[in-house]
Amino acid sequence: MNILVVDDSKTMRTILGRGIDKCVDGATIIEAGDGVEALKLFEANEIHAVLSNWNMPYMDGLALLKAVRERDEEIPFVMVSTEAERHRIITAIQAGVSDYLTKPFTPQALDTKLKRWVATS
Amino acid sequence: MATAMQAPSELTAAIVNPLLAATKEVFETMLGCTPTRDGFSPKNATIAQHQLSAAIGLTGEATGTFVLSLPESTAIAFYNRLLGLRATRLDAEVRDAVGEVANMIIGRAKVELTTLKLSISSPNLVSGVGHQVHYPVGVQPFCLVFRSEIGDFTLEVGFADGLNKTLATSTRNIISSRK
Repeated sequence: MNILVVDDSKTMRTILGRGIDKCVDGATIIEAGDGVEALKLFEANEIHAVLSNWNMPYMDGLALLKAVRERDEEIPFVMVSTEAERHRIITAIQAGVSDYLTKPFTPQALDTKLKRWVATS
Repeated sequence: MATAMQAPSELTAAIVNPLLAATKEVFETMLGCTPTRDGFSPKNATIAQHQLSAAIGLTGEATGTFVLSLPESTAIAFYNRLLGLRATRLDAEVRDAVGEVANMIIGRAKVELTTLKLSISSPNLVSGVGHQVHYPVGVQPFCLVFRSEIGDFTLEVGFADGLNKTLATSTRNIISSRK
């Protein structure tokens, strides 16, 4: 199972990757630092779930979400973001996000999202 | 030409208090420790308090700068606690971790500041002894000192008054909220 983890912070990619390692047996984590790189990796690999930040250089998470949805309507796409305002979350839902995890988050909150969207994908 | 410094404004207080709450929440959630405030003072120099600063610019109805500043020892302890690793020097990965935590603090605070319609920049990381952080001309920045089990750090804030005069919080609240 290939999980695409997209964040311009290596720290956050590491935290998310560790969460995936603990939660999903045999997952391969593919990392990208922005939406453009993520979309290239999405098209070049068989991806089973995407965890993405919102605010990133070159292409943000919302644009990435829309691009992914044009290619795959079903793939789990979880936004992991500091954008916690209601209207932003609604925008993401309207664009087809599967779920939303706001930073900061506890290990338990991450685990819950991963079990729901990644471990079963 | 010298410019008169503004007194602490209601706007500054209205921004600082959500920042304090957000700092506590982010430290407790991501680092498993509760920082306590141990000082509040006007900042009279542009030289940053510590060796590493994550500076975030805010524009909109308020314009200014928020800075998370840490000594090297705290920055390293910060990284080690967040990722469970053993950094020994202030390198790019440590800076990235500090920047990400600063991003979370300002992002969390922004939820409480929706009336100000703020636009927030990505953190700019600056390191080195004696580096400078500049604030909008005429603004009096403030320095808030924190203690925590992973080390001391400061938050430095300076904002120019916006147009929103409906904010009820006063400067007195900044000082009285000390824990």
